[in-house]
Amino acid sequence: MSDSTASNVESIAQMDQLPHKTGSLQPRAESPLYHADLATLSAHSADAGGVEIKEVKLLGHLVLRGSIEDAEFLSGVKEVLGLDLPGPLQSSLQGEFIAYWVSPNEWLVLVPGQQAFQLERDMRSAMSGNFAIVNVSGGQTVICLSGANAVDVLKKSTPYDVHNKNFPVGKVVTSVFAKTQALIFRSGPESWELIVRRSFSDYVWLWLQDACIEYGLVIKD
Amino acid sequence: MTQKNRIQSGGRVDRARALSFKFNGKSYQGLQGDTVASALLANGVNVVARSFKYSRPRGIISAGAEEPNAVLQMGATEATQVPNVRATQQELFDGLVCNSTNGWPNVDFDVMGIAAKVGGSMLTPGFYYKTFMYPQSMWSTYEKFIRKAAGLGRSPRENDPDSYDHIHQHADVVVVGAGPAGLSAALSAARSGARVIIADEQSEFGGSLLHSRENINGEPAADWVQKAIAELATFPDVMMLPRSTVNGYHDHNFLTIHQRCADHLSDKAPQGQIRQRLHRVRAKWVVLATGAHERPLVFANNDVPGCMLASAVSTYINRYGVVPGKNLVLMTTNDHAYQTALDWADAGRKVVAIVDTRPNPEGDLVEDAKRRGLHIITGSAVIEAHGGKRVNAVSVASINENGESVTGKISRLQCDTLASSGGWSPVVHLSCHTASRPAWNDEAVGFVPGATIQNQLTAGGINASYGLGDCLKEGTAAGNEAAMNAGYDVSATAPELKVEAISEGAPMALFHVPHSRPTSRAPKQFVDFQNDVTAAGIELATREGFESIEHVKRYTAMGFGTDQGKLGNINGMAIAAKSMNKTIPETGTTVYRPNYTPVSFGAIAGRHCKELFDPKRFSAMHKWHSENGALFEDVGQWKRPWYYPKPGESMQDTLDRECKSTRESVGILDASTLGKIDIQGKDAREFLGRVYTNPWAKLAVGKCRYGLMCGEDGMVFDDGVTSCLAENHFLMTTTTGGAAHVLEWLEIYHQTEWPELEVFFNTVTDHWSTMTISGPNSRKLLSEICDDIDLDKDTFRFMDLREGTVADVPARVYRISFTGELSYEINVQANYGLYVWEKLFEHGAKYNLTPYGTETMHVLRAEKGFIIAGQDTDGSLHPYDLGMGWCVSVKKPFSFIGKRGMAREDCVKPNRKQLVGLKTKDPLTVIPEGSQAVLDPTQPIPMTMLGHVTSSYYSANLGHSIAMGLVRGGLDRMGEAVFYPQPDGSVIEAEICSPVFLDPEGERQNV
Repeated sequence: MSDSTASNVESIAQMDQLPHKTGSLQPRAESPLYHADLATLSAHSADAGGVEIKEVKLLGHLVLRGSIEDAEFLSGVKEVLGLDLPGPLQSSLQGEFIAYWVSPNEWLVLVPGQQAFQLERDMRSAMSGNFAIVNVSGGQTVICLSGANAVDVLKKSTPYDVHNKNFPVGKVVTSVFAKTQALIFRSGPESWELIVRRSFSDYVWLWLQDACIEYGLVIKD
Repeated sequence: MTQKNRIQSGGRVDRARALSFKFNGKSYQGLQGDTVASALLANGVNVVARSFKYSRPRGIISAGAEEPNAVLQMGATEATQVPNVRATQQELFDGLVCNSTNGWPNVDFDVMGIAAKVGGSMLTPGFYYKTFMYPQSMWSTYEKFIRKAAGLGRSPRENDPDSYDHIHQHADVVVVGAGPAGLSAALSAARSGARVIIADEQSEFGGSLLHSRENINGEPAADWVQKAIAELATFPDVMMLPRSTVNGYHDHNFLTIHQRCADHLSDKAPQGQIRQRLHRVRAKWVVLATGAHERPLVFANNDVPGCMLASAVSTYINRYGVVPGKNLVLMTTNDHAYQTALDWADAGRKVVAIVDTRPNPEGDLVEDAKRRGLHIITGSAVIEAHGGKRVNAVSVASINENGESVTGKISRLQCDTLASSGGWSPVVHLSCHTASRPAWNDEAVGFVPGATIQNQLTAGGINASYGLGDCLKEGTAAGNEAAMNAGYDVSATAPELKVEAISEGAPMALFHVPHSRPTSRAPKQFVDFQNDVTAAGIELATREGFESIEHVKRYTAMGFGTDQGKLGNINGMAIAAKSMNKTIPETGTTVYRPNYTPVSFGAIAGRHCKELFDPKRFSAMHKWHSENGALFEDVGQWKRPWYYPKPGESMQDTLDRECKSTRESVGILDASTLGKIDIQGKDAREFLGRVYTNPWAKLAVGKCRYGLMCGEDGMVFDDGVTSCLAENHFLMTTTTGGAAHVLEWLEIYHQTEWPELEVFFNTVTDHWSTMTISGPNSRKLLSEICDDIDLDKDTFRFMDLREGTVADVPARVYRISFTGELSYEINVQANYGLYVWEKLFEHGAKYNLTPYGTETMHVLRAEKGFIIAGQDTDGSLHPYDLGMGWCVSVKKPFSFIGKRGMAREDCVKPNRKQLVGLKTKDPLTVIPEGSQAVLDPTQPIPMTMLGHVTSSYYSANLGHSIAMGLVRGGLDRMGEAVFYPQPDGSVIEAEICSPVFLDPEGERQNV
């Protein structure tokens, strides 16, 4: 069913899920928040406010599953992505790649959308044994939240403690977010990223807009 | 009306900013800085309510959260109505509108007042239980009138226009109360660098210091308060929450704080602002500095307006510049209350007398009063107040040393205000929320916090430490200890605060002032004002055998009001104790529960309302569905298209059309919501064999198989098709509603039972968009936009899967079918879902491609007898009950979940309920789902019921109704008649048949 370059590759169905037509023949891709039309909203959005929101669209989202004690797994990731898989609640960044710890045997790696398939193949070639790589790029999206009041919006949304002392820059948690869940990553002193599931993204978007009203919301495309 | 009781200077009100407000329809003026209560008192309003049971006129009694009488209905419009507003806590704003809640039709003339005069003597404790409960059928009628007359306030009939929300907070130290103890605790904790939250229910921090005349470090106490606030504001990790009541203190040091952000600004919150916010706080350590409530004394007619708490009178004078009367009589059991007489005299009004229940009072304040020539009557008490809507005189008599009897002649003093103080009750409520029982302190004559298992400290009045110096010292120590316990360095010392000590004589333990007549014969002596519970009522309850204080509470309704008995409970317990010849600690207290003061429903709901009440999950094609007229059905949190009516169609018309076009040409269903779980690992296949009832060992790569999942009990809980993508790679599908549970189920078994199996499970439900085209023309349609998969019927066969491109988008196509027709399930990465869906429609017009929703899907699958887990199953059916024994493999080398369960004695006995098809005798009659099956429709009720109808539809394709249902021993009753009696008395007859109504050979899906 699929190309095979190593033994692991044969036993797993890998699939390049992105279309390869170009120009006017290129199929239209719609990110999870496509229909919220942030482009139009951003044109009418205020210039300044306590919170700024932006969707980072169409990235490659790869879930890595494996053991932190499996040297081959770790070195395989390192060889391909150039980064060390982070420990609990940590992240690690290397160029265009970022890896988030999700659970004791689970990481999420964000890469440029077009590279996801090749990186998956390369990683599968670089390791063997008990691991899994799952492409979930269509199933979730990244929402950037920044500004002086971004932290207040998070406090309204998650019971997790987002104070500096408990949540320094670079930390990541997956926790309750309003009535759904989100991966929450602190990318800077006043900037955060939320990774939410596609089917919940409209709910999260509605929730965020509402939570931002009192601080002033700036929408960026 | 002028503010006749406002004094020219003093207090924290802004005399330059007059505010107008309405109370019971009349306009009044108050000042910025007033509460509604202080403004009403400034205007000389005596009566603010009518009492619950006897409809007696009632006035403002306190200046805080403990107020039982001045509980108002607020709101200028219907939509902004707020019940249970304590006038003593509500800040005045311009345009405020409020009304009495008790007292229908009005407080000055009251119909219940007349009824009470007629029936008053029969309104004894337990009256409602004794009288109105019988006949029971009448209770709803009585209740309506009782509730209306009781006036418990009402909620608005229109939507509240304001926003309320929740916020999560975390702190090292939470300080409750910002009086002297709380402020000093917050300061010492903050100086260590700890994260501190300090909350206080009042508009300003300072507590008692806001009306105190004492000095700290030689400066007025209020100046120290300002300095403390300024210092706290310099710490980035200190959060100060005024107007914020800590209403609940829960397990694990979790607190709920109700902040009134805009209640003091206007009737409706300013645009864009939150009206109230509920802080959900997790604290490492908590310092309770909640202070104390003054106790009124219980004497005859102690509810006549003009009878007030001594400290409240001082508060109104010193904080609000309001003297609530002209001539004061003060009754006290302690030194502290002397300050009220001094304040009154300083305001230039007349102190008629200080009546001290102690024979020989001595202390600094007593000496002060003597020096100033105030008339002090010792060893005596006010045994009765006189007046209707306002006190006009009091009866004073000497009493014996333990306060149990009147010993001397009764004399009468003219006055319009009677302040009383029976000492102080520490506010132990929050401490008690944690299930800690309070402990009696004899010396302080009050309950103090008992042992607690939470990380809790206390400081100041809550410990019955009432001296200012003690409060400051305890606060500083508690703040330091809390910060240290939370891991902070508290070695830096702050300068000590200097306070002039005031020497006080011992208070007298008196709760219930004796009368010349026995309690039951004396005029009413109120204990709980809000519920009209009297001393006589409590004595009667104990005489009737209610000896536990919890029973006394429930029998008399003491402490049941919105004030939760803050004022009266300790007095009531003392009276019950005395009447049973027990001590107060032996009698104990009732249980204090959250919330400390009423919380609006808005604050409880927060933003979880309307559109945000529950997440709505959408597929990538949702926009198309709604633009094409779909109505939606909730499946879990998903919004799935239900059916797509065209103009003029009834629901049945639509279903008939959708069903027929699918079977005759081609239909399309958005199946994206079905759960999808990616399974990778060398033991994936073995794992599947253990969680499904059927075998998986031989499923070839590129093939799909249907599977049933059972619990340990052998009962079916989910089903779906799982495909073998590669030797170590499977894609499992689940029901829409069961997806999360199935993933959890797999993880639990993997992590706890079979961790040695090398396999990983990941949800990919949201990653793939799934569209199912079904019907004889589905192959033709697919071939138009898919040129890299050989669709030949013998190459790409039923239950095969292929990878290719559909409309130029890489896709996995599964030839599986839930309709029994030739079907292809197309899966593409969800970012391209709508694009591919639209392409299918571009090419589908010539085949009359018809979108259908869940309802048509249900009909089509029922024509084929396919079950829906959760509709045709209910957790009590194993595969054999469903006639699906073919889906169970007992030969698998390793067992599977449910194998043992479905072999239990009860599961293999004959005559179990089994799933069968049902054909109605009248082909057009559709049996309502849920109808009960009986064999003999003439049997008298209760009839013998054999099962119920689980799925029932009209099938346009077959031209008759079809149904599935459970019938006892049904699989052996094929061809027999069964009857379904209906609520209207009619009976529907049906014949038991195979549930496969259409194409039993399965030819249509194999074309």
